[in-house]
Amino acid sequence: MTPRRIAVVGAGMAAARFAHQALALAGPGELDITLYGREPHAPYNRALLTGVLAGRYGATALGLPTGGAAVRAGAEVTDIDPAARTLRTATGEAARYDALVLATGAGPLPAPVPPPPAADRPDADGHRAPERHAPRRGVHVLRSLADAARLTEDVPLARRATVVGGGALGVDAARVLAGRGLRVHLVHRAPHLMDRHLDAGAAAVVRRGLEAVGVTVLTGREVTALLGGARVTGLAFADGGRHATDLVVLACGVRPRTRLARAAGLTVRDGVVVDDTLATSAPGVYAIGDCAEHRGVVHGRAEAAWAQADVLAARLSGARPGARYAGSPRFLRLSAGGLQVAAIGDSTGDSTGGDGSPTDTVHLADATRGSYKKLLLRGDRLVGALLVGDLTGVADLTAVHERSEPVPRDPLHLLTTEGALQ
Amino acid sequence: MTDTRRRLVLAGHGMAGQRLLEAVTDRAPGAWRITVLAEEPRPAYDRVHLTSWFSGTTAEDLSLWPAGFAAEHDIDLRLDDPVTAVDRAARTVTTRSGHTVAYDALVLATGSRPFVPPVPGHDTPGCFVYRTIEDLEAIRDRAAHTGVGTVVGGGLLGLEAAGALREMGLHTHVVEFAPRLMAVQVDEGGGAALRRRIEELGVVVHTGVGGQAVGAGADGTVDSLTLSDGRTLATGMVVFSAGVRPRDELARSCGLPVGERGGIVVDTRCRTADPHIWAVGECAQAADGRVHGLVAPAYAMAEAAAEDITGGDGAFTGYEAATKLKLLGVDVASFGDAHGTGDGALEVLYSNTRAGVYKKLVVAPDGRLLGGVLVGDAAAYDLLRPLAAAGTPPATPPEQLVLPTPEGGAAGPVTLPDEAVVCSCHNVTKGAVRAAVSEGGCADVAAVKRCTRAGTGCGSCVRMLTTLVDDELAAGGAPVTKGLCEHFAHTRAELFEIVRVKNVTTFSRLIDEHGSGGEGCDVCKPVVGSILATLNPRLGNSVHILDGEQAALQDTNDHFLANLQRNGSYSVVPRVPGGEITPEGLITIGEIARDFGLYTKITGGQRIDLFGATVDQLPLIWRRLVDAGFESGHAYGKALRTVKSCVGQTWCRYGVQDSVALAIELELRYRGLRSPHKVKAAVSGCARECAEARSKDFGVIATSAGWNLYVGGNGGMTPRHADLLLTDADHATLLRTIDRFLMFYVRTADRLERTAPWIERMEGGLEHLRAVVVDDALGICDELDALMARHTETYEDEWRATLEDPERLRRFVSFANAPGTPDPTVRFLPERGQIRPAREHEAVAAR
Repeated sequence: MTPRRIAVVGAGMAAARFAHQALALAGPGELDITLYGREPHAPYNRALLTGVLAGRYGATALGLPTGGAAVRAGAEVTDIDPAARTLRTATGEAARYDALVLATGAGPLPAPVPPPPAADRPDADGHRAPERHAPRRGVHVLRSLADAARLTEDVPLARRATVVGGGALGVDAARVLAGRGLRVHLVHRAPHLMDRHLDAGAAAVVRRGLEAVGVTVLTGREVTALLGGARVTGLAFADGGRHATDLVVLACGVRPRTRLARAAGLTVRDGVVVDDTLATSAPGVYAIGDCAEHRGVVHGRAEAAWAQADVLAARLSGARPGARYAGSPRFLRLSAGGLQVAAIGDSTGDSTGGDGSPTDTVHLADATRGSYKKLLLRGDRLVGALLVGDLTGVADLTAVHERSEPVPRDPLHLLTTEGALQ
Repeated sequence: MTDTRRRLVLAGHGMAGQRLLEAVTDRAPGAWRITVLAEEPRPAYDRVHLTSWFSGTTAEDLSLWPAGFAAEHDIDLRLDDPVTAVDRAARTVTTRSGHTVAYDALVLATGSRPFVPPVPGHDTPGCFVYRTIEDLEAIRDRAAHTGVGTVVGGGLLGLEAAGALREMGLHTHVVEFAPRLMAVQVDEGGGAALRRRIEELGVVVHTGVGGQAVGAGADGTVDSLTLSDGRTLATGMVVFSAGVRPRDELARSCGLPVGERGGIVVDTRCRTADPHIWAVGECAQAADGRVHGLVAPAYAMAEAAAEDITGGDGAFTGYEAATKLKLLGVDVASFGDAHGTGDGALEVLYSNTRAGVYKKLVVAPDGRLLGGVLVGDAAAYDLLRPLAAAGTPPATPPEQLVLPTPEGGAAGPVTLPDEAVVCSCHNVTKGAVRAAVSEGGCADVAAVKRCTRAGTGCGSCVRMLTTLVDDELAAGGAPVTKGLCEHFAHTRAELFEIVRVKNVTTFSRLIDEHGSGGEGCDVCKPVVGSILATLNPRLGNSVHILDGEQAALQDTNDHFLANLQRNGSYSVVPRVPGGEITPEGLITIGEIARDFGLYTKITGGQRIDLFGATVDQLPLIWRRLVDAGFESGHAYGKALRTVKSCVGQTWCRYGVQDSVALAIELELRYRGLRSPHKVKAAVSGCARECAEARSKDFGVIATSAGWNLYVGGNGGMTPRHADLLLTDADHATLLRTIDRFLMFYVRTADRLERTAPWIERMEGGLEHLRAVVVDDALGICDELDALMARHTETYEDEWRATLEDPERLRRFVSFANAPGTPDPTVRFLPERGQIRPAREHEAVAAR
């Protein structure tokens, strides 16, 4: 029997997880899986790149298992033909497949620069015209090992660094750069840090944590331009202010890489649209991870990508052909040195109950210890939780939230240590 | 015959006025001829508890005017006849009825009047204020004829009034101009929690709006209130409770200075600009520039004025506002800097919207508690307010101070220092309350109230007072009833026998089978803990007092194997047997004290006390002490403390025996023995008795032929010389007799009964004791000997055992939950007996 050929476009976290799971579930010789990657590396854990920047991990430490799948590193797929079930790579390779999995991930959003001529605008896949109006040197993103290496080389050349974007990546990058001896500013558009996941109180604790390691936090400031010649020398803000810096890290978010899917005529909105079976609009083509849009949501984080990879692996391996992906709860976990943050579900409490039931909160904050904990409850269900500083109970909370179990009559014990209740 | 007394006239007879009368007559009995000119038709009464009038408390109950007070002090009290004018030149006052009264000293205590906003219709029949018993009578009468009542003002008094209306069955509205309820006392979160709780009771709250106009019905009485947002509430009654204004008209009309916002200006002695006129209470603007509206500062001002009038030296410089009330059944408290205005102030918050609980503490960067707000659960107020006033960082992590109090495990007033003020109205300290019981002979709360006045102001401290009095009564060794407490009808000695004979190994079994069942209390738990500690080797239990169920039985001190000190920190006392210590030992203790910044003191028991440790430091300190060969000194326990010794024969020219060697031997023999109360001992090397052995529970004095044994001595508050039990005993007899004496004591003494009262109480006294322990009159000596043998065999150093066991360490390490070490499992990992996270916390906690 000829093995079923599965081509995976992309060799990132979702791709590796899919290959590893599918090969583990399938019988010997049933599947032939090949991963085609843009980057010149075998799959690695992108979520730990700040650890590389901090010098805590070498590049090889982040490698991910693929279960014996073939990995074509540096062989970016340039075309797919779903009708013919063929693909071609930038290295000139052509291949036939029985099933194709798009796992192209997401690319960093571009720098906030005055809009270049349309033809010059870079796309999410990083293809951009060589000549830019804005300075290039000293301007970084942190999405790949190559980015981390480039940034690491640049750090000794700078005294002042500015991180643009106060989400989880920006917060962590700012902390790491400060730890490398730079004077770091973190600039964020919203009034408080990590505003998609944290309320103002929790964000204030994070801010104090950053300030304690020497990071200056500027919130409510929008960057409109990078200044300088070949090398960046500063930033301009929307309010007209300017800020001098030697190095910029852009952590303004990511967007799904969908160029290939669009070119092949697949349905694409923000991401490549998939149903509960992770199937795209083209027969035999699936999408998982940061490039996929499921029920209108592009999750953009590892836990969801892995859950999708697991479902697809169960289906395509034949182990559980009926497996379906029903979505992932909102979740954020940031472990940045002493700065510990977990946000579960509707953690900002800004949405109201579908049935109009009020949201109750149980809140325990101790600024003297930098801890901030909050539960959001509707009826006897946990709809969200926020933990900063002291993550005791995060595992229980996640479980209670994911399984939608009734919370105990006194939910406080989910937030406190044994010591507090002894 | 001419009356030579000077004339004191008091204008106004409210709470402050009455307090002034009491203070003046107390300080200078008979020195003043006193006239009181009161506006109300009744003598001073307790306005703080006015609302209780609606629930059946009578005007007589509220009265502050003791029967016979006027006669005893020859006070001329004229009701319904207020002062209407003051002639400062002539030093006379004129009253409403036209009388003129001369004064040498005039005290203005005219109080305040409710502020009624000038809204149209504010004087319509059906509009009221909430100040006097007469006001309440009128409100009650109106309530009988209407179904809806509205209170204008969502402050403290307004909510009191709303509670009263609701109690009378009215549908009740509260209208508050500020964006939240009780805006002065509580912050936004607290106001929200309060609102939610109050709304749950059916009271309708309107914030951010004022009353615009009162409407009248056909009968000319109130039928509606129009709000500033245009809405109109149908209501049959409006109670204005929108603050008060000082009644300073008398002062104004006679040319005394008043403050910009009202209030007669007084200095720290409550003197006005006229040397013959004082002003106290709500009508005065105190030296801190504020007009105080609470009873505690009013009383303090009355005291200061009375001091000054009677030639003393009192002062009122200001008052840190603190309140605790129950409004509509909801606890509300605030104290200190509740709004966190200080530099770098940090907040510690617990809130639970479902339970309607909101607690916030404001903590200074150095850890001092600055203030707080408690809504929905103010149980911790009694503890927190004195901690805030103490001005030193509490030893308990702030987070634990705001968490709901665990069942039965409440941090009680036992954790407060003696200097902590428990009754802020009368400025009574915990130490004063304890002294009233232990030295003043007060046998119940009522007596303590009479004696100290604690609890007679706002009454918020009565609950804590009860606990304190009970504790102190118990500590005095005077059990009120024969039974130990509500859980056991047995005495300690009887319980000891039950545990011993029936081999009851746990507290829960004992209380289930021989007591009331349930959880037990702070009285019975430590007693049983102590009994178990003595009998554990025999029962086959772990001998460590913090193991298993036993941990929950221990007193505060035993709980952390250290002595709680006044600021909530702990002291550490390593055992120094007989007071003999090597230079290396001294250096070790010195180094530890230096490294941890501890205060060191040589104790009366010939050892060194290290003060100022926090709970989380205790294991670190003891790690080093244990490594250097030191052991627990049991200074925290009801146990053998020390065996003091003189230098003895080895060095002293007069010594006839080696007192040091014997003292060491005795101390090592009986160390760790848990007993009904502490046990102290001493050995003197000759009859000169330099070790003061006869003031100890047992004392040994050397003779040329052997040793004399004395028992039942006591120093302290009731000194007693010890009785001679043995004369010229040899070493073996001496030890055997002390063994039996101690075990007999442990077995039969009452809770917290030292050997001295135990012997005095014993039928047959010393003779009986001698018969039992020397001649085995009861046939129990084998058993006593065996018990002591088991004790000495199974003794282990509690601190060493604690350090070696992660489970036991938990209670200490749980306090070391520093940022960056969130994983609780890490905290308890031992490493060759060390715990690394605790060391990490040492840096965090460094002061």
